[in-house]
Amino acid sequence: MALLEIKNLSFTYQGASNKALRDINLEINQGDFVLFCGESGCGKTTLLKLLKKQLRPNGSLQGQITYNGTNIENLDEKQSVCEIGYVMQNPENQTVTDKVWHELAFGLESLGEKTAVIRRKVAEICGFFGIGSWYHKRTCELSGGQKQLLSLASVMVMNPSVLILDEPTAQLDPIAASEFLQSLRKINQELGVTIIIAEHRLEEVFPMASKVVLMDKAQVFLCDTPRNIGQRLANDDMSHKMSLALPTAVRVFYKTQGTGQTPLTVNEGKQYIASNFAGSNTTCSFEKASRQEVALQISEGYFRYERDLPDVLNGVDIEVYKNEFLCILGANGAGKTTLLRVLSGLKRLYKGKYRLWGKKIKDYNGNSLYRGNIACLPQNPQNLFVKSTVYDDLMETAKVVNANVEQCKSMVEEVAQKLDIAHLYQSHPYDLSGGEQQKAALAKILLMKPSIILLDEATKGLDAYSKQTFAQVVDALKKDGKTIVMVTHDVEFAAEHADRCAMFFDGQIVSCDNRVDFFATNRYYTTATARMTRPYFTNAVTVDMAVELCNLNKGAK
Amino acid sequence: MKYFDRLHPAVAFVYFALMIAISMLTTNPVVIAVSYLSSIVFCGMLIGGRQLMVSLAYNLPLLILLSATNPIFVHKGETILFFLNDNPVTKEAILYGVFASMMIMSVFYWFKCYSTVMTSDKFIYLFGRIIPKLSLVLSMSIAFIPKLKRKYKEIDEAQKALGIYSGKGMVDKIRSKFRVLSILLTNSLESSIDTADSMRARGYGLKGRSSYAIYKMTASDKILCALFILVGTASIVLIVLGTVDFNFYPTLSPISLQALQIVAYAIITAFAFAPTILEVKENVLWRCLKSKI
Amino acid sequence: MKKDLFAICIVIFVLILVFTGTKIQSVEDYYLTHLDDITEDSQTVYLSIRCDTILDNWDKLDPALRQEKYVPQDGVILQRTEYVLRKGDTVYNILDRAIRHNQIQMECIYSINYASTYVEGINHLYEFSCGELSGWMFMVNGQFPQVGCDRYTLQDGDEIIWCYTCDLGRDVGCYWEMS
Repeated sequence: MALLEIKNLSFTYQGASNKALRDINLEINQGDFVLFCGESGCGKTTLLKLLKKQLRPNGSLQGQITYNGTNIENLDEKQSVCEIGYVMQNPENQTVTDKVWHELAFGLESLGEKTAVIRRKVAEICGFFGIGSWYHKRTCELSGGQKQLLSLASVMVMNPSVLILDEPTAQLDPIAASEFLQSLRKINQELGVTIIIAEHRLEEVFPMASKVVLMDKAQVFLCDTPRNIGQRLANDDMSHKMSLALPTAVRVFYKTQGTGQTPLTVNEGKQYIASNFAGSNTTCSFEKASRQEVALQISEGYFRYERDLPDVLNGVDIEVYKNEFLCILGANGAGKTTLLRVLSGLKRLYKGKYRLWGKKIKDYNGNSLYRGNIACLPQNPQNLFVKSTVYDDLMETAKVVNANVEQCKSMVEEVAQKLDIAHLYQSHPYDLSGGEQQKAALAKILLMKPSIILLDEATKGLDAYSKQTFAQVVDALKKDGKTIVMVTHDVEFAAEHADRCAMFFDGQIVSCDNRVDFFATNRYYTTATARMTRPYFTNAVTVDMAVELCNLNKGAK
Repeated sequence: MKYFDRLHPAVAFVYFALMIAISMLTTNPVVIAVSYLSSIVFCGMLIGGRQLMVSLAYNLPLLILLSATNPIFVHKGETILFFLNDNPVTKEAILYGVFASMMIMSVFYWFKCYSTVMTSDKFIYLFGRIIPKLSLVLSMSIAFIPKLKRKYKEIDEAQKALGIYSGKGMVDKIRSKFRVLSILLTNSLESSIDTADSMRARGYGLKGRSSYAIYKMTASDKILCALFILVGTASIVLIVLGTVDFNFYPTLSPISLQALQIVAYAIITAFAFAPTILEVKENVLWRCLKSKI
Repeated sequence: MKKDLFAICIVIFVLILVFTGTKIQSVEDYYLTHLDDITEDSQTVYLSIRCDTILDNWDKLDPALRQEKYVPQDGVILQRTEYVLRKGDTVYNILDRAIRHNQIQMECIYSINYASTYVEGINHLYEFSCGELSGWMFMVNGQFPQVGCDRYTLQDGDEIIWCYTCDLGRDVGCYWEMS
């Protein structure tokens, strides 16, 4: 008998007309590592929440979910708390208490365990995750990745047999995300805990999974092992939205109509290319963007937050040209966000020059810097919304620039058209999905008619499809003559869409080049495609470039 | 790690409660001076010399100011120094001002020591026993404050960079802050839904919740606690019985040094300097151990 | 910079106000008062200050005040003395002159609510110094006027007695009318 069985499950939210889930049938066995993927809003979260008795949303449910043969609804409260663990997306909101030890003990306290028992279990879990050194720390001192690991540990301390995770790495940087996934693998492999995870970034988690469930429009679209998924996608529907999210090796495999075992990792992909596509065509041709006038420029900029603290910007030199899309990449804590703060005029350099359109930043009085010049899209777009509907929010901003109500309306209309958000007018900004929120926030910024747009980790937590739409928006903005600077961890996105990329390290820009040369020269800090195709291809940094070369070589053979 | 930090929270709490009570119970200049001195010395040991200097730089002027206020408003006292707007300024009133403000300062420094030693989780541990629900609420709110602060800063920056309000001029400033606060509120409500989910997922609301703590009462803690209670209560009893009563008005009463008074002063001094002595003892012991290695 | 200058100006202005508004006198200066000589045709009043009630309530008295110099054995702080009455003199004026002349300590406050001066303490004996119902009262010609001492204008030959009560006046013969 399967551990979890979902039979003919349909679900409709209270007050909603459409079904959030439709005819789901799934079996999950003890020790499985099940990966749910699909566009945001496809019902993943709803399904995962239905598996946890305490978190079940209100609505009408048909069919049934059984755990060990018992309907989830009828599970003993204590049993369902202990045996089914649930980790959510946002590490910030999940930590409840002020101290790490208290957070770890929280669940056991709820169960009414004795102090001695809690002490033993917490000690064990600290050992397992190697977080003993944090024990006395305050939770607010931890980084995002550490917080998420703490959330995981504080669920694991209750010794669950099923662990459900809803996009646990969406808010983490790549290194922290990778560490987190390694911990999950350890839990799965060493403890035999069943893992059910929903994810957007599949590069790493895909090969770990024993079963992949692809969801689309409230239904299960495909359910198979990772190796077969690649094959079946290739056979069934190559243009399916979700294909964008698959790992590089899988995408290259089905785009080149490969046969046999699907390669899942970079290593397997490399072997696949070596045995099938090594040939004389090794270099892609690409178009370099032509340089225009300098939009903004920092020369030898120094910045620190306080007198006694070390420099965060340490003689940084940067030039951004008009009408280009520049991505600034770099590790966590390198000071990328600080650089963005300086660029947006929120912080001032204590040494060095910062010129915007050839004019010193100091000479922009009052708000003139933010009217028609610079705009900044914060990491969390929610920080921009004030009103209770998207339309009111946009109108409010439009009124700042225009006096006339008619003018405002036409301006909002125009921007909404461009970003395709007119259908969201009457929604509450907080009810939108991540991608939609991003667009609404961007619309708000565009109303100020900026010539330079600064983006802070704009692709964080977005699914592959939203990322693509976002890229299209960026392209459209570029066509309008806007200059765009983005700070990001997302190398794949930068490799596909940026004009130039810059590497930020130790308070400086250490390298800056057009996207292809940038990632082709980098050995470690580069895209999976570049790592996979080397040394056979010299500058294939995106999947499309790799596929192009593969096809050329195949034709040559 | 300071010795006092390592004590069981209850022991530290008992000490501070008694010491603050002693400091506030009497106007005797000897007791006040002892309490003032010992509080400053102990505070210096806890927060370090430099920090202490910084805090003294603020506190000494305040002390002088407070001392100066009393004779302006109180004209009691026999020894008139001069008349200010037809009101006598007396030696007694000045001295009373000095010692009263010294008492306030000593209580201030004891509280500073208290807040350094009794971190939030110790406090929660102590009072969580009495009201279990409260301990969680306290812990949550303490965790919430830095989150809120960070969020506020984020929103403030995002709004500033949007350039709707220039932030210049009072009205504009207030309006922009109000805007940030309203966003913060919506934002927090939104995230509190997540927090509530996370709590429910980990069984919050099940019957028979227990309270976990990382502190253990050791034998030496118990002995020290008993000692503190003994000496502290003895001091308070002596003070309440009027052994060390002292009057400033109309003229300063003499400080009598009879056997009973000497005993009282000795006990109070010993109690006031106990943490300093313990701390010094610990340091010396550590040096000895280190030199042996 | 402009703001700083403005702030400095305000501070200086306040300091000047404070200094011009304060009068500092030495003890000798303060007690140096001129008493008019009593002549044939000068109008006079009589003043005495007594605290005999304390003698009956010794146990209630603040221990710090249980001394001869604060509470004389006969309860008389100021013997019945004749003072020249100047035009428009109130009870307060006479008391102030007498106190300064005899160098007796006194403290009073001006109450805005009653628009009159209230004597808090004489010779270090304050209100509440001898129980909760204690304080200073004054009597003119055997009556307790229901006004403040600086609102009662005296006439020739008036007899003023300042007496300390330990029982809201009842022990010195003042019975508040029950209304």
